[in-house]
Amino acid sequence: MAEVHVIGQIMGATGFSESSLFCKWGIHTGAAWKLLSGIREGQTQVDTPQVGDMAYWSHPIDLHFATKGLQGWPRLHLQVWSQDSFGRCQLAGYGFCHVPSSPGTHQLDCPTWRPLGSWREQLARAFVGGGPQLLHGDAIYSGADRYRLHTAAGGTVHLELGLLLRHFERYGVEC
Amino acid sequence: MAAAGPSVFLLMVNGQVESAQFPEYDDLYCKYCFVYGQDWAPTAGLEEGISQITSKSQDVRQALVWNFPIDVTFKSTNPYGWPQIVLSVYGPDVFGNDVVRGYGAVHLPFSPGRHKRTIPMFVPESTSKLQKFTSWFMGRRPEYTDPKVVAQGEGREVTRVRSQGFVTLLFNVVTKDMRKLGYDTGPSDTQGVSRPSPPPGLPL
Repeated sequence: MAEVHVIGQIMGATGFSESSLFCKWGIHTGAAWKLLSGIREGQTQVDTPQVGDMAYWSHPIDLHFATKGLQGWPRLHLQVWSQDSFGRCQLAGYGFCHVPSSPGTHQLDCPTWRPLGSWREQLARAFVGGGPQLLHGDAIYSGADRYRLHTAAGGTVHLELGLLLRHFERYGVEC
Repeated sequence: MAAAGPSVFLLMVNGQVESAQFPEYDDLYCKYCFVYGQDWAPTAGLEEGISQITSKSQDVRQALVWNFPIDVTFKSTNPYGWPQIVLSVYGPDVFGNDVVRGYGAVHLPFSPGRHKRTIPMFVPESTSKLQKFTSWFMGRRPEYTDPKVVAQGEGREVTRVRSQGFVTLLFNVVTKDMRKLGYDTGPSDTQGVSRPSPPPGLPL
């Protein structure tokens, strides 16, 4: 069985209009993949930047997968939320990106989007907060049923992921 | 007698904690330590250190330079739990107490070669304004009892932090026997830019 190590960090996010941000992340893989060690999902700390406008999380990711096939290459999905001084959380964006498939260290910029509601909901969001959210998280990383959504862009999440592959040449896989 | 293949690979990292940028603070020193998984063990070098206290230069750069050496070698059977370096930066507050100015962590690079990393530093923050004032006044800021917590992902969802500076680190990485064990760490180059590696078996 070939093995894949994903070792890196969710560095932070830029371009969001709110400043106290945190990120819930998870990794989704196909049926041929098995997680041997590591935690598949998590939530970062809430960061309020004092210098500049990038919120920094430096959240470590260390995952060890074993795989029997190339289908279902791991996808990292993210939900960025903002937290205000009263402790209320509001959705700032959803995003996903595939884990890179070539070994080495990669800098990734994952764009995010958030669902827009009706004009009433947008007005309410501007004054009171809240706003529509996805009921099922799998719409973030799958293409099915996306045609029903009308979304607006959020900011960008920056990741640095390193990939270590084992025994891929044995199976004739080039990456 | 057939020689058995290696079961252990080595990671040798040397480098330095080069400098820091903290626009609002001066007279800082840093401590570093390593956090690694259960399959890892340090075999040589120093696992932790405390640097000198540095002040900002008077010129326009406002640089805080430590130039503090790092030299460590690890051995392991499994890349899971790859070592991270955890940095904590401390400095005096207006009353003269030593308070924490930032924590940060980054994985040691795994492709051989030279790497430069600039990591953000953050401090835990109290939630209530009264607590913020009391901690400023008494000189007891919120800090982690064990800085190694910064290198872990679990339990972070309840913490609020404020990022307020950066530290630049330089690493030179050498690995031994990773390729023999079947690991492919990608192209090794000094810029850290991904380039396609040449296909194996190319005739010389």
